Amino acid sequence: MGTILKDYSYTPAKIKRGYSGKSLYINLADLRIEQKEITEFMKEKFTGGKGFDLWYLWHAITPETRWDSPENEIVMSVGPLGGITQYSGTGKTLLCAISPLTGIPIDSNVGGYFGPLLKFSGWDAFEIQGKADREILIFIDGNNGRIQIEDAAEYPEDAHLLAEELTKKYSENEDDMVNVSVACTGSGAKYGYMGMINFSFYDPRRKVCRFKQAARGGLGTILHDKKVKALVVKYRGVKPNLNDAADISTINKVGVKYHKEMHDLDQKQNKMRQIGTANTVMIMSQYDLLPTRNFQTGGDPETIKISPKVFIEEWLTQGLHDGCWYGCTMSCAKCADHFLLTTGPYAGQRVTVDGPEYECAAGLGANLGVFDPQAILEENFYCDTYGIDLISFATCTAFIMECYQRGQITQEQMGGLDLRFGNSQAVLELLHQMSRGEGFGRLAGLGIRKLKQIFVEQFGADPKLLQDIGMEVKGLEYSEYAHKESLAQQGGFAMATKGPQHDEAWLIFMDMVNKQIPTFEDKANALYYFPMFRTWFGLVGLCKLPWNDIVPADNHKTDSPAKVPEHVQNYVDLFNAVTGKNIDKEELIIQSERVYQFQRVFNVRMGKGERKDDYAPYRSLGPVTREEYLSRQELYDKQLREFQQLDPEAMGLDEKIAATRRYREDQYEQLMDAVYRRRGWTNNGIPTPERLKAIGMDLPELLEVIEPKL
Amino acid sequence: MIKVNTEESPWRPGMTVRALLDEKLFTFRHIIVRINGEFVSEEDFEKQTIQDGDDVLVLHLMAGG
Amino acid sequence: MKVLTHKQELCTGCLACELACSRAYFKTDDPNYSSIRIVENNRTYRARKCTQCGECINMCTANAIYRDRNGVVRIDKKKCVGCLGCVGFCTELVMFYADDLEVPFKCIACDICTKACPEGALEVLVSRVKEN
Repeated sequence: MGTILKDYSYTPAKIKRGYSGKSLYINLADLRIEQKEITEFMKEKFTGGKGFDLWYLWHAITPETRWDSPENEIVMSVGPLGGITQYSGTGKTLLCAISPLTGIPIDSNVGGYFGPLLKFSGWDAFEIQGKADREILIFIDGNNGRIQIEDAAEYPEDAHLLAEELTKKYSENEDDMVNVSVACTGSGAKYGYMGMINFSFYDPRRKVCRFKQAARGGLGTILHDKKVKALVVKYRGVKPNLNDAADISTINKVGVKYHKEMHDLDQKQNKMRQIGTANTVMIMSQYDLLPTRNFQTGGDPETIKISPKVFIEEWLTQGLHDGCWYGCTMSCAKCADHFLLTTGPYAGQRVTVDGPEYECAAGLGANLGVFDPQAILEENFYCDTYGIDLISFATCTAFIMECYQRGQITQEQMGGLDLRFGNSQAVLELLHQMSRGEGFGRLAGLGIRKLKQIFVEQFGADPKLLQDIGMEVKGLEYSEYAHKESLAQQGGFAMATKGPQHDEAWLIFMDMVNKQIPTFEDKANALYYFPMFRTWFGLVGLCKLPWNDIVPADNHKTDSPAKVPEHVQNYVDLFNAVTGKNIDKEELIIQSERVYQFQRVFNVRMGKGERKDDYAPYRSLGPVTREEYLSRQELYDKQLREFQQLDPEAMGLDEKIAATRRYREDQYEQLMDAVYRRRGWTNNGIPTPERLKAIGMDLPELLEVIEPKL
Repeated sequence: MIKVNTEESPWRPGMTVRALLDEKLFTFRHIIVRINGEFVSEEDFEKQTIQDGDDVLVLHLMAGG
Repeated sequence: MKVLTHKQELCTGCLACELACSRAYFKTDDPNYSSIRIVENNRTYRARKCTQCGECINMCTANAIYRDRNGVVRIDKKKCVGCLGCVGFCTELVMFYADDLEVPFKCIACDICTKACPEGALEVLVSRVKEN
């Protein structure tokens, strides 16, 4: 037990219609703790969750603020629907901060207990500003209205040990452990910019702490920089209506209906309860969409070795509840129990591995040329306990591997690591080096944007090639979907506000396979609707998966099956039932758009919100190399004929590659024009005052930023 | 010739929905098929034949990430 | 394992069982608070009540459902968070809930309705079925 540095008492606010009405502010420099009011203005303009986070962050910083400036804040908030128990996926918390990778706000979502327990402890949002002078932990006791800041030097660094120790420390007995949630990074966040934050919850059946992650953007790096070892929240007494819902009857009815749908249909649809998000691995491979060897191709015959079937039959415990918050019957957070580690500091121990999620199997698997399920699970475990964003690590390591494959960097320059595609042992060793802060591990976590610069300046690599194959936009690495043939998805990634994360839009099948959005206007409409719709989840505390990873039996008969209208109606009903408000589907989109446009202007304010920042590396748009062109030659030759009236027979390979590139880059420019128009932005990507006014966001702060750019 | 998801596609007499899906490698389980706007339910995929000139939609309800 | 059984051929649909149950546990005559529900079909009467199958045990999101020493499936009120997952998942649709209750409810083979039935159509049997 470390020295208590601060002890603060408060009266936990009572929740009214989904909001406690109070937010918590802690400044780590002087350990100052304050309470702030959640105003009606905030609720109206920002709704909650990410909206509150961005509002607080805007006012905490200046355009000169860097990720490691003391005034940078980590803000977190769960939103008004967060913590209801009756529907699936109601524990999602959003975190925001200025990202080490991008220099603009990152928004990162995490499932689990922390956000709901924080709200029940009286806090709609929580700001952490400044830097402590020593490693500390912050404990929030929501039952007793107490916040303690404690010297945390003696506690372990790695998440699976730290969470276990702190969960036990703050529990009165085993039954009490479900009432504690720990947020922490790990030893891998010391160097580099892709540290993430783990959020724990106790699994009473397995008797271990499980983790979800606020992974993207480097929040763990910031947490470490601020010397916060852990955040702990405790609240005992979760009940069905702690949110003081206006209409519990509707919530119950909608919840039971959804649970029944899950019971009747999941097995026939995506089998989320058996395999979770990794169910898509085989499908993606079959449709040539699984990112393989740094997004060079869309699959590999060896994918069968990491198919859902393999994980279900050989690795993932079946039949137990695996939801990351109460009431989630989608129950998709699968895990491998009693998994024997063979490398690193915990070699020889059996652990519970939270995964693999799709991003893990695709990213740490196919995209690194690794098709060994055991290696993937071990990579997953160490990314988690070391506090490293698995997606950024995967995409960045894939980049490093291709640079090595193409002779742009040498084994010597990587400190002897033989990081060729498929060498999972080298990948694991790299992770251990990141944890120890040794060798190439000190560089590998810096991210693709920084590494491109280092490889060119220090190792003499080819800047054009690296620019083409380094899969990052705005400094954030791409998530794990091969999308070379989907113009809509190219836009969905590169024009996404935080960087190329797929949470804004996932249009690959709609675009490429179903061909439902053939024109620029169709794509622009999709790139308006889906980001706006999907943003909403992060305002109110919801997980996106229950929206469309299962659909009602008659969904295909509706006008727009891709929108899953009955589930959207569920969400409208739930929002109104909790808050007592009376929104409809249109108002839901406007709520989202307010925050979406705010975040875009925030980017403008921080210097990365213009057209120049929305371009993709060419690997995202088309074939960079000869092998890539040849791997889809029939398709690309056909497109030369159909779209450009060129004769592929009369052209050399390099000529065809160049012609394809010209065409695709021009297509992308046209897409940007259409999307910007649809989103109410200027041709330079700046939100217009007219659009802001139309949605009630013509706030002086925003107008001041955009006016000079119009 | 038929149309499959708005693109021209070769047709053979006696082509069933199942045969078309197999040919196109549309292996995804959660598929909605409409021929000239009419639904074909999954149990009819083996029986239902496609006629020359038909407009076939094969909608994959892929949630994605 | 104890389980409530119902003989259709003896049942007259008088609903005395529903009344006895809702009165005993919730002090009300409202059949929506009974753990046994009589369903009429062309003047024959079927009883819907928990079969103690236990499917809800592993899926409970709060780990609140367990078998007691009689093999009867019970909800631990201290752990239950009222998510109603069990209500939606029950294949027989015999886990019930009400909006003013924090926890769902079900038949626990307590013998109250068997004593209330004037026709002797209800009986709690002890089966030797293997439990999960």
